[in-house]
Amino acid sequence: MIYSVVGHYSLILGFCIGLILIFLSIKNFKNSNQLDTKILSFSFLQLFFVLISFLALIISFVISDFSNETVFNNSHTTKPLFYKISGTWGNHEGSLLLWLLVLTLFIFIFLLRTKNQPTKYKILTLGFQQVIIVGFFLFLIQTSNPFNYLFPVPDEGLGLNPILQDPALAIHPPILYLGYVGSSIIFSSALAATTLKMVSSSWAIHIKKWVLVSWIFLTLGILLGSIWAYYELGWGGFWFWDPVENVSLMPWLALTTLLHCILVLERKEILTSWVIVLSIATFTLSMCGTFLVRSGILNSVHTFANDPERGLFILIFLFALIFLSLFIFFFFHQNNKNNLSNFFWLSKETSILVNNWFMMYFLSVVLIGTVYPIFLDVLSSQKISVGPPFYHKLIAPFLIPFLFAMAIGPRLKWIRSDLKDKIYLISLLIISILISFFIVKNFNINTLINTILISSALYLFFITLRDFFNKKYKNFAQNTAHFGFSLLILSILFNNLFSSEIITNLKVGETYNNSKTKIVFESINQKKDKNYKSIIANFNITSSEGINNNLSPELRIYNQPNITTSEADIKTTLMEDKFIVINLVQNQDYFNVRYQVKPFMLWIWLSVIMISLGGLVSFLQKRI
Amino acid sequence: MKIFKVLIIIFLLLCFNNLSANENSERNEITKNLRCLVCQGQSVYDSDSDFANSMKILVDKKLSEGLSDKEIYNLFKEKYGYWILYDPGLNKNTYLLWLLPILIFLIGGAIIVKSFILKK
Repeated sequence: MIYSVVGHYSLILGFCIGLILIFLSIKNFKNSNQLDTKILSFSFLQLFFVLISFLALIISFVISDFSNETVFNNSHTTKPLFYKISGTWGNHEGSLLLWLLVLTLFIFIFLLRTKNQPTKYKILTLGFQQVIIVGFFLFLIQTSNPFNYLFPVPDEGLGLNPILQDPALAIHPPILYLGYVGSSIIFSSALAATTLKMVSSSWAIHIKKWVLVSWIFLTLGILLGSIWAYYELGWGGFWFWDPVENVSLMPWLALTTLLHCILVLERKEILTSWVIVLSIATFTLSMCGTFLVRSGILNSVHTFANDPERGLFILIFLFALIFLSLFIFFFFHQNNKNNLSNFFWLSKETSILVNNWFMMYFLSVVLIGTVYPIFLDVLSSQKISVGPPFYHKLIAPFLIPFLFAMAIGPRLKWIRSDLKDKIYLISLLIISILISFFIVKNFNINTLINTILISSALYLFFITLRDFFNKKYKNFAQNTAHFGFSLLILSILFNNLFSSEIITNLKVGETYNNSKTKIVFESINQKKDKNYKSIIANFNITSSEGINNNLSPELRIYNQPNITTSEADIKTTLMEDKFIVINLVQNQDYFNVRYQVKPFMLWIWLSVIMISLGGLVSFLQKRI
Repeated sequence: MKIFKVLIIIFLLLCFNNLSANENSERNEITKNLRCLVCQGQSVYDSDSDFANSMKILVDKKLSEGLSDKEIYNLFKEKYGYWILYDPGLNKNTYLLWLLPILIFLIGGAIIVKSFILKK
């Protein structure tokens, strides 16, 4: 009770400080060239109040204070402590509070860490960021206050959706938000830089660090969500082109484009408008994502809070931000005068343009695929589904030239280049084609596109692999990320092509047998935990090579809310995952058993980690 | 360097010996492209709901009756509408959906060539 009050009032105080900060930044912007020390202290105070309010919510969850509506809706006394805490951001209100916490944290760090940049720029960035922050405060207090009071106080809460009670999902939102919200700094800073006409290479070097930070977190956040989907949703897939997944992918694509584009700006002071547009687009896409998820327009696994009023608020807020940025862009932005340099067709900048070109295409595919059904539904009330086949058809063919460009591009020099080591490049190409031909031939996959895709991915793989051992080659960060990407594409392809599965119904004691696999359903045990009962099935699986595995998938029947989840049992090895999941068959003693062998699963995760590692190396690197 | 390359190739070949080709049944391919209407964003193939299970049985039945995958898709389309198909196909409702990204790609390419490569 007391914590809710504290939390609520700190929120209001934080909101007021936001207003004060906007006022102060306008005043300071006009008058002086010195950063007002009051700004820094107020910014810290704002962070402090949001933190207090966030901690108050966590404590309310920990002590199960059901006079708080959010706690009542999303918690239960029998839940383990860990999930009581993670339940704080496992719901709409709490996750928005977390969003706000990250917003205030980032702007504070920005003020502290930004050196060698004009004071006016810092103040203006703060001003824009505070506009966003105040908008979110209003949104939170108006439509989704996490501290609503309930009377009479209920004895017991409604509980957290069991599929959210999972370690990966406990850290997935914070990590993802660090990425999403990090893009807000890029947005504010791009607007500030445009207003002051200081979009230059020194700004590019400064903002690149922020781009990298949010890019790394976004990458890892998406990865965590994907891993969670793989073992928790019970279908063994890791990416379904679900609208909410797409919504997180779009800012990632924009951010990746920005990351590459900034390299050109850093070096040659051209493409300024494009960098600004991308910076604005990244944050706008993150906001769009929030809008689409929270308004309940989308049909998705992730939609846990939908309320038209919230949707409307975000929509208005979003349009205000877009309007503001367009206004600033058109009135203040000046195209660089030295924008005369002609690009030679074979140069690093051209290859980066090619990257941008393809990335924008991928982004448009994802964007159109996600929003087209919504518009069609509104305009002609025709309901269509846009699912994996659409994305695969439009993206896979374009990946081929993209992968080749990824292999060749980084080897080129700025301004004008020539291909060195031609023999090497060609021989590696031949080897890649031969290997992929061999693979395809050997395993009867007669699709032309797979052969070419595997060859191009292998080509990138070999070239980047070789560059690790090439002493002349300096760009370790880039090479790591590109190598990771080739590994990712290869793992996904092989995973798709060579996965196999068995679906069958079995009773205890029965055996399933086919030419390759023998599945023995040995026994079931029951277990009782604090907030769920579980049925554990024990299987013994023998493959044709005589490898023996014991796997024990689980069915969990949660008490509150009363939902049954199936927990997959996965045996991970370097080469393949063995994945088994069971389900009850209605009114019978049979269990529906789904057993999958998924090669290279581990490598999908590892390669994404490697990609973000590339980002980390680049972040830590001193500029040479 | 050469030895290194050869080693990689041998390694890769060894890896693939362990893998078995997939005998993906036609049913799986079809059910992957059907939306489970009672679930939140899952395909019939991925879901274990009653609806999905009965759909799987129905697809099996139709396959054994000798219908092609196209005929089965049409059957479901007529019964439940386009909503059930994950592959939106090319028709008058989806021309824009398929062509817009391609168009954006072409325009993007044209812009790049025009303003950076050919510029005098």
